[in-house]
Amino acid sequence: MEKEKVINNVHVRVEVTDITDLEIEAFVYYARSDLKLDAGYGNAITTRGGMSIRKELEKIGNLAPNASLITDAGQLKAKYIIHANGPKFQEQDIPLKLKTTMLGILATAKKAGITRLAFPAMGCGYYGIPVPQSAQIMLEAIEEFTSETNELEEIVLCMLDLRQQGAFLPVFNDFKVGVLS
Amino acid sequence: MPEDRSYKAEKVIERLGKKLNRQVVGSLAACVHCGMCTDSCHYVLANPGDPTFAPAWKADRLRKLFKRHYDWTGRVFPWWVGAKSVYTDKDLEELKDIVFGKCTNCRRCSINCPMGVDFATFNRMARGLLVSVGVMPEGVAVVSKDQWEIGNQMGVLREDYLDTIEWMEETIQDELDNPKAVIPIDKPNTDVVYTINPREVKYDPRTISDAAKIFHMAGENWTMPSEGWDMTNFGLFSGDDDLGGSVASRVYDKMHELKGKKIVISECGHGYRSTRCEGQNWAGMDVDFEMESSVITMRDYIKEGRIQVDKSKNTDKYTYHDSCNFARSCGLFEEPRELLNLVTDDFSEMYPNRSENYCCTGGGGAMSMSEYAPDRLKSAKIKADQLKATGANVVVTSCHNCVDGLADLIKHYKLDMKVTQLVNLVANALVIPEEAEVAVKEPDEVETLKGLFAGKKIMVVDDEPDLRVFYGSVLEDNGAEVIEAADGDEAIGLAMAELPDLITLDLSMPGKDGGKVFEALRKNDATASIPVCIITGRPELRSLIYDRPVPAPEGYLDKPVSEETLIRNVRKIFEVGRAMEKQPV
Ligand code: SF4
Ligand code: SF4
Repeated sequence: MEKEKVINNVHVRVEVTDITDLEIEAFVYYARSDLKLDAGYGNAITTRGGMSIRKELEKIGNLAPNASLITDAGQLKAKYIIHANGPKFQEQDIPLKLKTTMLGILATAKKAGITRLAFPAMGCGYYGIPVPQSAQIMLEAIEEFTSETNELEEIVLCMLDLRQQGAFLPVFNDFKVGVLS
Repeated sequence: MPEDRSYKAEKVIERLGKKLNRQVVGSLAACVHCGMCTDSCHYVLANPGDPTFAPAWKADRLRKLFKRHYDWTGRVFPWWVGAKSVYTDKDLEELKDIVFGKCTNCRRCSINCPMGVDFATFNRMARGLLVSVGVMPEGVAVVSKDQWEIGNQMGVLREDYLDTIEWMEETIQDELDNPKAVIPIDKPNTDVVYTINPREVKYDPRTISDAAKIFHMAGENWTMPSEGWDMTNFGLFSGDDDLGGSVASRVYDKMHELKGKKIVISECGHGYRSTRCEGQNWAGMDVDFEMESSVITMRDYIKEGRIQVDKSKNTDKYTYHDSCNFARSCGLFEEPRELLNLVTDDFSEMYPNRSENYCCTGGGGAMSMSEYAPDRLKSAKIKADQLKATGANVVVTSCHNCVDGLADLIKHYKLDMKVTQLVNLVANALVIPEEAEVAVKEPDEVETLKGLFAGKKIMVVDDEPDLRVFYGSVLEDNGAEVIEAADGDEAIGLAMAELPDLITLDLSMPGKDGGKVFEALRKNDATASIPVCIITGRPELRSLIYDRPVPAPEGYLDKPVSEETLIRNVRKIFEVGRAMEKQPV
């Protein structure tokens, strides 16, 4: 199956990789309302990136649902982290909330002039959003946002493992650019 | 829905309908309340007179929910059959405290029910329902997220895993005085791919070097994988089948990539059950390689003459604890006993044993749920009495989870006992042929080591003066400048004033304990980047250190500490210390 495609001049590719250890300009961390860098990637960010990121977040305090904000990435390979408070577990109105979160991230990235951005499979894994549902919404949001702006050059969609990639790729392959109403 | 119900409660009920299969419905419907399971549960035995610990009482909380929504009698006559629904988020929290806090999913009641009710199976299902709406103990959330995102239950980063393996490789090369003793990583087409529990990397790397030594002496063609190395699976405990499937498929996918012949699973009950027995169902994957417990591998090495052992080297009085998952759920009763008898002389059974053995009381993820620790430790009285009655001074178990559960209760009930695993006993009993014998260091070699820590300032923190003198003189003999602190406050003050290159920190100190000192050091800009080597004999290390909102320590040492291990660990931190270079001050 194809792992790369171009959406509105943005090169989009799917890859199994540790998003916190990626050579990229900015990556998205699926954040909590209290902005605590908790277990999993949260811990990896602190361990690899240093305490400065955590301190920056502590100063900010919290983040509204579906909103996003940008911080420095400390000693990580990336320059910035976009913290996005997306929907979790089986909460109400996931499609709408996820789309809002995605568009918010892209706007935050645009404002910061970011051209190379990495996403996890948004809300999948620990937070339980089904991969195909998330994939569809992510791609729609990327297409919608980039149809109006062309500053982004590269998007990496980072998968946790082959199994997650296996669920993501069929949607990615079936996604037809230019048919959004 | 006609009733006024919270969104989460509605989702739980909806998902319950999807999870009902024959086995679960059978277990939900079959109970005749005969009470035969009651006394099989360690929680009941430790809490006589409290009916809320009885398996049938706990099961009824779920049964009522099922009857209310999925059984026609309950739908039509809910008052008659005792059907009861959940309405509020508080109801879900109460259910959480039952399914996570009052049961370790040990399955002892399941095998004692004449009607074939498998309470543990639907308790696990109930856990999964709650997890799917985000209702779970904090510890379960942390471990699940670590395993989902980092690929192992303890959030061990790839570089730390590889560093530890490298360090263990150096250890066995030193011990065997043989540079050819290696731990191959990602070697394709091997006969054995060795998978482990992340606990081994974080707290017990000796089990890795012991296993490596055994593979080396057996002349095995083996490897360890760089990814998919965690054979444990928190999905078994949290009830999240999706996590179960992901974790298992990572192990299997890596195995396919390496084209190995056989996965050998280190001694871990739930890891064995998950990888060997349940994982393929969760992952929806067929595999074409063998999977085997390291207990069988080690036993066969001895029986086939691939390694030689001298049982007189293991001089204690031993008993054996059957892990619930390894024994009751997977039927491995005789193999560990056979191996134990091959490497020790003095083994006596614990009663009851095999499928009737009591849980270590730390099963089902209980060690990660600190809020239920008082109930857990109270129920552990049953296990403590069992251990005491054996008269043994060492309890052997083939499960990392049981090591922690047993160590915790041994400390709580002040038993004079140690816990160990078969891999440690086999490695200790190994007969190393002459040429591979550990070489005694020549005087000039010792001389060259003298300056090992020259120019380094090391702070030793311990409340025991004898130990400060011991650690201090070992480090000074190797060229370090040593400063000492006798308690937590002094340690923090001195660290800020002196900014040492490394701190060795005892966890068990009166007043401000080592855990608090560690957190304070990490949170202070001036001291955040100083590498810390934790020294402890305490099994609850995990909650003191790893559940803290600060980066993990660079090293740790188990008490009692020998001169050799102290030097090796400090050297490792200075040489490998990745964190040291990366943490900004
Ligand atoms: S032994 Fe079986 S039938 Fe009897 S109360 Fe327990 S679960 Fe019910
Ligand atoms: S599974 Fe074990 S802990 Fe749970 S109720 Fe049954 S006997 Fe008790």
